[in-house]
Amino acid sequence: MIAFIVRRLVSSIPVIVGILAVTFLIARVIPGNPCTAIYGERATPELCRAFAVRYGLDQPLPQQFVTYVGQFATGDLGDSIRYSLPITRLIAERLPVTLELGLLALTFATLVGIPLGVISAYRRNSAVDVGTMLIANIGVSMPVFWLGLMLAYIFSVGLRGTFLQLPPSGELPPGFRYLPFYVAWGLAPSTDAASPFLIFLGNLKILNAILTLNGELLVNALRYLILPAVAVGTIPMSIIARMTRSAVLETLGQDYVRTARSKGLREGVVVVRHAVRNALLPVVTIIGLNFGLLVSGAVLTETIFGLTGVGRTLVDGITSRDYPLVQGFTVFIAVAFVLINLIVDVLYGVLDPRIRVN
Amino acid sequence: MSRQTKLVPKLTTTQIALSGGRRSQSLWAEAIRNLFRNRSAIIGLIIIAALLLIALFAPAIAPYPPNEQLFNDEAHRGIGRLPGRPPCIHLLGCPAEQPQHLMGLDLNARDMFSRVIYGSQISLFVGFFSVIVSIFTGSLLGMLAGYAGGWVDNAIMRLMDVLLAFPSLLLAIAIVTFLGPGLQNALLAISIVSIPAYARLARASVLQVKEFEYITAVRTLGAPSGRILFGHILPNILTPLIVQGTLGIGTAVLDAAALSFLGLGAQPPDPEWGAILSEGRNRVFTEPHLVFFPGLAIMLTVLGFNLLGDGMRDALDPRLNRI
Repeated sequence: MIAFIVRRLVSSIPVIVGILAVTFLIARVIPGNPCTAIYGERATPELCRAFAVRYGLDQPLPQQFVTYVGQFATGDLGDSIRYSLPITRLIAERLPVTLELGLLALTFATLVGIPLGVISAYRRNSAVDVGTMLIANIGVSMPVFWLGLMLAYIFSVGLRGTFLQLPPSGELPPGFRYLPFYVAWGLAPSTDAASPFLIFLGNLKILNAILTLNGELLVNALRYLILPAVAVGTIPMSIIARMTRSAVLETLGQDYVRTARSKGLREGVVVVRHAVRNALLPVVTIIGLNFGLLVSGAVLTETIFGLTGVGRTLVDGITSRDYPLVQGFTVFIAVAFVLINLIVDVLYGVLDPRIRVN
Repeated sequence: MSRQTKLVPKLTTTQIALSGGRRSQSLWAEAIRNLFRNRSAIIGLIIIAALLLIALFAPAIAPYPPNEQLFNDEAHRGIGRLPGRPPCIHLLGCPAEQPQHLMGLDLNARDMFSRVIYGSQISLFVGFFSVIVSIFTGSLLGMLAGYAGGWVDNAIMRLMDVLLAFPSLLLAIAIVTFLGPGLQNALLAISIVSIPAYARLARASVLQVKEFEYITAVRTLGAPSGRILFGHILPNILTPLIVQGTLGIGTAVLDAAALSFLGLGAQPPDPEWGAILSEGRNRVFTEPHLVFFPGLAIMLTVLGFNLLGDGMRDALDPRLNRI
């Protein structure tokens, strides 16, 4: 098992170097001077020379790349021009929102998608099956940003005054403050004095609510996250439902299912313990592969729902031409993507020993 | 159909081998028959045919030019505020003296229906064009990698791995950011990010096909590599590429709309669906029609290509289980 993990880790190193090379080249080879792009008409030759020296742009390209890889290896992704903060610090502050959004979306996708797929397969060609697959087909075809805006409209305007009314944007009610767990526990006197890792953990609202037993924070954080999570999770949900359906259909026809039935096991036990359990393997892969969709979804959804996550910061960075930020965030997300695929591969190996051998 | 069955007797493998080419024709015919038997493929085809007709006859269907502001229009005098006016459909009880606007007016007092109709031209163009570019480049690279093997294969496929390591929309955003916003650059970015999928598919198919005996036979006869690759291998790997391409059109339309929504794709006043949606997004709570209709158009288009692609996969790819 360890040999398998090490092999997979080693094989992802060239991909990570490749990611660095691609982002580096995109930023440098494409025509256009970042100095004039950032400063516009204020860009004087002196200012641009100072700018080039400051960001190492006066060095030859190979040397720039070596410096860039070296900085990356020490965890330095550069400084944002707009925020005048290290990019790693910005990620520590803003990743929690995206992480909570992504995890909630994935939970929604799995909890709804798998049962839908199983019911659909079990009642094949019935009205339930046709209806479910229609929903799944529409789900994969919907633009995330449109779904987000429509959900925001329906739940904040259409259902106003009912118990289903939900806030259309933001992360917490205006003026709502909470004490981060590290302050409550005396680990740091204030947010300013906390380390980036504590800030990262402190910004995970749901985790904080649990750690400090703050029920009000938990309810508020969830109320603000539900709509964005449903918007982000709908495409993965539809894919999971379709995948589960075909996987369960396949296992339902297997001999061991017939054996289980002929043993006189209850139908529920046959379906859940025998058919669904064996069908879940490909579904795990699909859940892992959906990370890309979650990221794309988060970029668009955070913009709509006013969440200060990684996606929205990236989009803001684009509009304000904060090149180091765009480059740093892109590298971070791509490397995270590679690592998550790695974890999925390892998980797959744990679930199915045949894969380790091959 | 039954006549056809009678005319074509069941052939044994030897007869098929001796008949030379007849079998492949009947395979295509069978694939098309399967396609027309597939419910989702037919719904997909109907949606796409309707869209193509709408795009083709947009000037005849749209009541107004897509960018015409109606402030000075005779029929619109004295009916009140024009920007963001909700839909007025005579059949649904809107007073006949008011000019009809099936999807209302946008914030610049332009007819939304006309803009959405003209938008189909842009979206279909983006979808087809970007897929053609990426299928062409991707399969060429993949075929080269699969056929040549060795370091060529390694170099091409590692580059593809790196491109695949980025979530596709993110890579497209990064490319457009540095190229500069605009429909043309968005198109290029969408084409680039979907190249790896076709390259992988083409490579895998070439690896499979090149081991077949008829390729060995052609090679023994002394055919040059180019002719083997394009004359003998390519026709046999087209099916999965076509299926993937059809599904890819839907993805391309979605990505283009997303880029335009973020302000990186089509620029105002172009009536691109994502851009129309983006213009109205801040008014969604008061004038939801500004967002609803362009989004619905995107969804229907993508749905059409997805349904057709799924149906084609079932009908054309005999290797897949037909579940």
